[in-house]
Amino acid sequence: MIKIENLTKHYHAAQGKVEAINGLNLEVADGEIFGMIGPSGAGKSTLIRMLNLLEEPTSGTININGTDLTELSSQNLRAARQKIGMIFQHFNLLSSRTVLGNVAFPLEIAGVGKKKRRQKAKELIELVGLEDRADHYPAQLSGGQKQRVGIARALANDPDLLLSDEATSSLDPESTKSVLELLGRIRDEMNLTIILITHEMGVIKDICDRVAVLEAGEIIEEGSIIDIFSKPQKALTKKFISSVIDFDLPERIVKYVRKERPGELIRVSFVGEKTHDPYISDLVKHYSVDANILYGNIDEIQGVPFGTLVLDLEGQLTNIEESIAYLKSQDLRVEVLDNV
Amino acid sequence: MFNFITDLARYNDLMISGSLETLYMVAMSLFFAIVGGIPLGILTTITRQGHILPNKPLNFILDGIINIGRSIPFIILMVAVIPFTRMIVGTSIGTNAAVVPLSLAAIPFMGRVTDNAILEIDQGVVESAQSMGASPLQIVFKVLLPESLPAIILGLTLTAISLVSYSAMAGAVGGGGLGDIAIRYGYQRFQLAIMLETIVILVVMVQLIQFFGNQIASFFDHRA
Repeated sequence: MIKIENLTKHYHAAQGKVEAINGLNLEVADGEIFGMIGPSGAGKSTLIRMLNLLEEPTSGTININGTDLTELSSQNLRAARQKIGMIFQHFNLLSSRTVLGNVAFPLEIAGVGKKKRRQKAKELIELVGLEDRADHYPAQLSGGQKQRVGIARALANDPDLLLSDEATSSLDPESTKSVLELLGRIRDEMNLTIILITHEMGVIKDICDRVAVLEAGEIIEEGSIIDIFSKPQKALTKKFISSVIDFDLPERIVKYVRKERPGELIRVSFVGEKTHDPYISDLVKHYSVDANILYGNIDEIQGVPFGTLVLDLEGQLTNIEESIAYLKSQDLRVEVLDNV
Repeated sequence: MFNFITDLARYNDLMISGSLETLYMVAMSLFFAIVGGIPLGILTTITRQGHILPNKPLNFILDGIINIGRSIPFIILMVAVIPFTRMIVGTSIGTNAAVVPLSLAAIPFMGRVTDNAILEIDQGVVESAQSMGASPLQIVFKVLLPESLPAIILGLTLTAISLVSYSAMAGAVGGGGLGDIAIRYGYQRFQLAIMLETIVILVVMVQLIQFFGNQIASFFDHRA
């Protein structure tokens, strides 16, 4: 388990004191894929680089499986780092070594014998599907292939934790998808904990179990993917979600509805089983309101159906209120849109 | 014209021994440039702010040594270190004596070349090695040197070519080699053929050094 307490990073720059991370607390369970998202400058890169002490914290503790990294001697820190794999946006492979040499590199550092190194590296290269590229140099590979080498290399010393620093940010959508699939698969096969940072909500939606939203060095919102997607609290979170799931109505339609049809505009979100049940017809039958569907969308977040409807409810005010209460009692998330 | 041809034939042995002396001086001082300059360059880079072993005072000293060494014109350096040369070689005349100032000029030159070659390596690559738990020594020998090898070889080529020209200067003050021949026969005795021949040999030498340097560097270069 990873437990971060009161983590702070301040440094001095030309513009004065920069507070990159401010007293951050975080817990990540074993085997979890935990995502951190934030706009650039939010401190996510600083944060992930502190998790293996590439960046030294100003204060706070970083506890990984019972060991506080910040208290280790440099020698013990090097040993601990061998159990924390890391992958990078720009891959950072050694240009002077082949794929095989790159994957064997961490084993060489750990002092593993030559024969064992070769064997282990070959297994990992097979795991990431690059058998036919083992003797190629990084310059001869595509971005997606380079990141696969990066992943194989990060797994060489059987780490407990994998850190991913914007690993898909310089890849095309196709490679991003396959790299994310690979990460999900190795998590399942090796029961690895993965902490990743990204500025793309699609990455979070595709593979994370939980997510933290970072703004100005602080976690402003944190929760399971379904919770965050169905009940985002903060404006920044909503903005990130809207980049992958669009549930804003075109302004013209809102204006038209507002002017012509005085009623109540609501947004209902359904998660999982709820998407199967006929709530809207219940509403119309039992509460004598009219429901005009202005917008509907159904998506899937890691196999869980997730839907959104924007309804224009018409009828007597008390009926509308009752029908909203009914929807809420069914554990649906209902939001009254005052000023869309 | 007759003179021209007979001169060339007559001094054949002289030209061969002169060329060998030049090659000897270049090879010896190149050797000292490698064993002295490359470690100097590595230490200078890694003690820089933000590199793997930052050390401000040491970096200041090493960087200073390189700058001072590089700013003294070779002809002055050669004369200035004569007492030191005598102390080491026992004399200030001859090819062995010339190797001393040549090495002293080549070491800081190679130091700067190595420093620049290592600085070219993407800091992310160094960081990835650190993230795997590599020690500073492992980073030097498994990352910095192999990754900068093509650039270091090109730097060595550059150093060797500078040494060819410096060695000619050393020849003028009793160092021997092609420079000595060009001055004594070509300039002082007006033997134009000898002068031209030394120039041709030097040009060919430099071309060959550059050619092989490029070949070896590209053999180790897998960046593209």
